[in-house]
Amino acid sequence: MSIVVAYSPDRFGQAALEHAAGLARKDRTRLVVVNATLGNSLVDDRFAHDADIAALQEELSAEGLEVVVRHDVVDDVADAVVAAADEEKAELIVVGIRHRTPVGKLLLGSVAQRIILDAHCPVLAVKPA
Amino acid sequence: MTATTEPGATALVDKAQYGLAAFLGLAGGYVLYDASTLDRAFNDQPVQPYALPYVVGAALLVLGVLLAVATARGDRPEAEEGEDVDLSQGTDLRTIGLLAAVLVANLLLIDWLGWAITGALLFTGATYTLGSRTWVRNLAIGAALSVGTWYGFYVGLGLPIPAGILDGVL
Amino acid sequence: MDLLLDGFQTALTPENLLFALIGVLLGTAVGVLPGIGPAMALALLLPVTYSVGVDSAIIMFAGIYYGGMYGGSTTSILLNTPGESSSVITAIEGNKMAKSGRAAQALATAAIGSFVAGTIGTVLLWILVPRVADVVVTLGAPSYFAVMVLAFFAVTMVLGSSKLRGFISLFLGLAIALVGTSTGQARLTFGNAQLADGIDVVVVAVGIFAIGEALWVAAHLRRKPLEIIPVGQPWMSRADWKRSWKPWLRGTAFGFPFGALPAGGAEVPTFLSYATEQKLSKHPEEFGKGAIEGVAGPEAANNASAAGTLLPLLTLGLPTTATASIMLVAVQSYGIQPGPQLLDSEPKLVWGLLASLVIANALLLVINLPMAPLWARLLQIPRPQLYAGILFFATLGAYTANFAAFDLLLLVVLGLLGLAMRRFGLPVLPLIVGVILGPAMELQLTQALQISQGDVSTLWSEPVAVVVYAVMGLMLLAMAVGVVRGKKSPVPATTEDAEELVNR
Repeated sequence: MSIVVAYSPDRFGQAALEHAAGLARKDRTRLVVVNATLGNSLVDDRFAHDADIAALQEELSAEGLEVVVRHDVVDDVADAVVAAADEEKAELIVVGIRHRTPVGKLLLGSVAQRIILDAHCPVLAVKPA
Repeated sequence: MTATTEPGATALVDKAQYGLAAFLGLAGGYVLYDASTLDRAFNDQPVQPYALPYVVGAALLVLGVLLAVATARGDRPEAEEGEDVDLSQGTDLRTIGLLAAVLVANLLLIDWLGWAITGALLFTGATYTLGSRTWVRNLAIGAALSVGTWYGFYVGLGLPIPAGILDGVL
Repeated sequence: MDLLLDGFQTALTPENLLFALIGVLLGTAVGVLPGIGPAMALALLLPVTYSVGVDSAIIMFAGIYYGGMYGGSTTSILLNTPGESSSVITAIEGNKMAKSGRAAQALATAAIGSFVAGTIGTVLLWILVPRVADVVVTLGAPSYFAVMVLAFFAVTMVLGSSKLRGFISLFLGLAIALVGTSTGQARLTFGNAQLADGIDVVVVAVGIFAIGEALWVAAHLRRKPLEIIPVGQPWMSRADWKRSWKPWLRGTAFGFPFGALPAGGAEVPTFLSYATEQKLSKHPEEFGKGAIEGVAGPEAANNASAAGTLLPLLTLGLPTTATASIMLVAVQSYGIQPGPQLLDSEPKLVWGLLASLVIANALLLVINLPMAPLWARLLQIPRPQLYAGILFFATLGAYTANFAAFDLLLLVVLGLLGLAMRRFGLPVLPLIVGVILGPAMELQLTQALQISQGDVSTLWSEPVAVVVYAVMGLMLLAMAVGVVRGKKSPVPATTEDAEELVNR
């Protein structure tokens, strides 16, 4: 069993990660951190730097958590999270959600919404404090 | 075709460059042939219409031969770098072919359908070829761009782009 | 002086100020955006010349030219991706600064240095353009012919590592220029009536610069995002100012003359400036690890050389960079022939442009210093939409030249040629210069020989022509010596770093 968290290097991803790490600590389950990008722009600020991912992994492992990081270039971010959950037989997916206006949602879509609709396990939506 | 800047591959001959050499030879030959079909213009004209073509055609022929020789001796091109260019992988011929097909479809349809329609199709087709799968959104952006530029040219610059099938609608 | 004031009057009309502002905004944007440079942007914007006034268009184009360099330095520093060879040094040294937490200072010294260099360069243009034009206007057709041959030569020989490829590109351009009608006969038209008027140079420029480049990039897209260094507001401490101002001035001194020479280019002076600063610096150990002098000097040299390129463009009608060549196409599309007579026949245009350069530089400083983080956001535009947009506007630009589908066919063919040129390492500048100057050269040769009634010796009857041919002879000799002595490039020790960087 494991918990999958959709991570991005901002306060939304941070909130999701903290919550998921807390649950993993309590239940003593594996934590799978997914940080993916389409790789279709020169810069993607929701794709963490390699060094940051390494630091994050080290920090969580130091606490005694079993951590797996999936830091990939993929065709679809939401699909990648759902696929990771299926492969890891996850009991829960944790996502951070951001507020977006209806127009913004129409133009930019919402990864969190897609994950909620497509997932085969419960999804927990977390908002930053 | 493969990218040509990998280290350790320098001993190989870039065979595609023979193709370029052959193209130069053909082009030079045709320029020379075309020059030979031109007549003298006025007798007192110091630079006849065929003068420059003879020079250019001959130069292209010579350059083609030089390039072939240089290629055989192991000369390799330095493919162009850029901010968004990754030369570590080979040239993606499929993408180029599809993009060229999109451009050709546009030029075949533009007289019939008009820019406002073919422009939107061009944009959508190109984004799809380049890997974007949100084609409904791309079609919307493309339509906004093509209709916007049509009116922009008509109103802003005073240039009426032929409307094609939408004549009277726009 | 009066003329300069008139120039400011032209440049300061609300309409032209607006075009200058649009120009610098667009220029900065294309400088920041990956895969699109000022030359391509100008090629895509050529349609505006069909109805906007010539002074407004050229003011906007100059703003794009300068703006492209400001924007380019931003990406070089934050991402370590030099868009052009002239910003390789900035990418090396500036990115090292940014990585050590001094991105703000690197951006600031680049922007302020560009402003200083651009302003000094513009003032030098005010002084030099009328004087050089006075000399040039006395030249006869033989001298002018000689200068054009020299330009072909210089553009071909100085650029790129392979002279052979330079000449291939040049003669392909001259062949394209042959297409059309000469004294009543169809020349190289393949029997096609639609080619009788020749190939529109707008279509050539858009095909080679925009379609060719977009296809080339599309075939080699990066897959993994680059790691950008987050940046705040650019600023400099007093110590940074103290370390920057001399490199700015020295960089300007290197850059302007190289820009003004036919095919001097911007690359060599940035290397020279870097080597000089390294020698003169009190902190030579910082070089290669993020020395502010190593950003200040080369950035100033880069911008000063851009100003310098306008000198041969405005006085002789000779373009020495790809961007300058498209500006020439734009001016020509108004039926104005840039060349020795330009300053006499179009004083309002030339002085309006020269005045607007100062304004553009000031605008650029204002929009770049506080807004650098905002510009960096442009890097997040997804590639499919970006390159599809380039193809869209390229097609539109070529179509509006004549509203003929046939031009779009030529566009695709030329785009594939542009793609092949990038694949085979053929430089694009000699080709476009050949297309633009080929017909003018034939005309000058005809005129010279008509006056002399066919006596070929007239070609070296003027002292200037003799000097020019002598220079060309020296260049050939230097090249021959270079070949015999083995291929050694005259660029200082930094080349290895640079090549390493470029080859990544």
